[in-house]
Amino acid sequence: MRAVLVLAAKDLRVLLRDRAAAFFTFAFPVAIALLFGYVFSGTTGEPLQVAVLVERDSPAARAFVGMMESDGAFAVVRAATREEGESLVRGTEAIALVTVPSDWEERLAGVRAGGSAGLRVEFDPARRAEGGLLVGKMHELGFRAAFGEAASAWKPVAVDASELAMERGVPANSFAISFSQGVAWALFGAVLSFCAGIAEERQRGTLVRLLVSPMRPASILLGKAVACFLACMAAEWLLVAVGAAFFGVSVSSWAWLAVASAATAFGFSGVMMLLAGGFRTQGGAQGAGRAVLLVLAMLGGGTVPLVFMPGFLRTLSDVSPFKWAVLVAEGCTWRAWGAAEMWMPLAALVVIGAVGLASGAALVRRTA
Amino acid sequence: MIEVRSIRKSFGRIQALDGIGFSAHRGEVLGLLGPNGAGKSTCIAVCTGMIAPDSGSVSIGGRGSPRDPEVRRLLGVAPQQMALYESLTARENLAFFGRLYGVADPVRRADELLDAVGLLPRARDRVGGFSGGMQRRLNLAAALVHDPPVLLLDEPTAGVDPQSRGAILETVGRLAAEGRAIIYTTHYMEEAQRTCSRVVVMDHGRAIAEGTVQDLRAAHGGDLESAFLALTGREIRD
Repeated sequence: MRAVLVLAAKDLRVLLRDRAAAFFTFAFPVAIALLFGYVFSGTTGEPLQVAVLVERDSPAARAFVGMMESDGAFAVVRAATREEGESLVRGTEAIALVTVPSDWEERLAGVRAGGSAGLRVEFDPARRAEGGLLVGKMHELGFRAAFGEAASAWKPVAVDASELAMERGVPANSFAISFSQGVAWALFGAVLSFCAGIAEERQRGTLVRLLVSPMRPASILLGKAVACFLACMAAEWLLVAVGAAFFGVSVSSWAWLAVASAATAFGFSGVMMLLAGGFRTQGGAQGAGRAVLLVLAMLGGGTVPLVFMPGFLRTLSDVSPFKWAVLVAEGCTWRAWGAAEMWMPLAALVVIGAVGLASGAALVRRTA
Repeated sequence: MIEVRSIRKSFGRIQALDGIGFSAHRGEVLGLLGPNGAGKSTCIAVCTGMIAPDSGSVSIGGRGSPRDPEVRRLLGVAPQQMALYESLTARENLAFFGRLYGVADPVRRADELLDAVGLLPRARDRVGGFSGGMQRRLNLAAALVHDPPVLLLDEPTAGVDPQSRGAILETVGRLAAEGRAIIYTTHYMEEAQRTCSRVVVMDHGRAIAEGTVQDLRAAHGGDLESAFLALTGREIRD
């Protein structure tokens, strides 16, 4: 066991000496977590940026735009021309362009006689959900414009809407989600570094020197797995520490975090060994290995968080080990899971680790 | 100290070793010579225990096969490749290998060896910045870290300048004088002539000649290179 730890310590030292590998294992995941955290923070609680084009100025048009401006749901940007309005939407500075037509005043007056006051709403196809919300708000504001503020008190359907106080299962902020995502990128960096490291040992001949030492081949591979395990654990704990210290990420259970990070590190040591067995050269590991890991990381919630994925993609993501790692990270932070919810992703990680280590070790020994 | 008996090894239809046998004794440098594809590398791999022979046996120090990890403690190997970690310093490389073998004070042992191969002033420098000759000397030092009685040196002077070659050959001579058994492969015949007390010429996985350099020169005339070419032919091998 002493030799296994000596080998693991050497591998960790080599990892830290390689600036690119150390960056992608420890610093890059934090940077990604911050980036996505800030990106997601911009999509919640902010008023909708809407461009408004008034085709002909009139008291009714001015009043309608004033209503929009005073409504907390909107941040109105005036467009002087249609081209300018479209450009604001295409440039993603506004989610939609609302056109108040030139005959707005006349048509508004006709509403009481059964007519319709038409408004035109053109929205960014990538913001369909907000587009639907905007259409609903236009109906509300149009009704108020046509029948006056007093009429707006009339509500045919009384909707009692309130915010539900959640004990658990709700992220405190966007960083709670993004730091769990960052775990995927930390594992990506660690696995790729160690996978390439084994290929490099094979190519440079240092693996020969290890194989002719008194260490058994199984102990050599165990040393590699232990080093990868420790690097994965360290990267994950670093992320949680930064998130908890500076970005309001709360850990629901430190005990679960210890269990989850250990299971994750074990699972990904298996992934590393399997890839190391599959790719004999450093180029293969860093090329094809990176591509395989990238697809799995993206599918497992590394870019689009699992909670935002459409249903079919969330089901498909079951094949990615990253999904289970992100889930257990979320489980011991904002999801505040207990044993009933944690057991399945934990079991998945342990099975992935065991299968990966057994089959990967066999492949590495065959190609040594 | 190392005895190779009737080793056969094939890879598919290729017979890499075809009943080769030889032995190297304490204080002896045995040259293992042969053209490309003669089976030298396979022979070294069998002697280190990395490959199991189909038949025949290797015994190290009278304690059995190198497939046994404890027997491998008697072996020091300098592979043909520079088997060193470029991102570690020279001292860290040797200390790491020392720890793997359970050497009592690996850092002190590393410094002794660095001094022996003329690299002590560069102990704290990363190996990635070393010249080819410096790496070769360090590669040899790494084989000695646990003070083994048997050494397998696979082309230890390939691609180095005459100064480093001279230093390596001097070290090999000193190691033999200390009583180690050394198996030495090389393509440089003048080097074998200068260093080896006996040579085995291999071709097609067999030992086709064995004896002292003087024996071979007497049998085939000229120098060792002439004897080698007379034994293995002049056609180019790939």
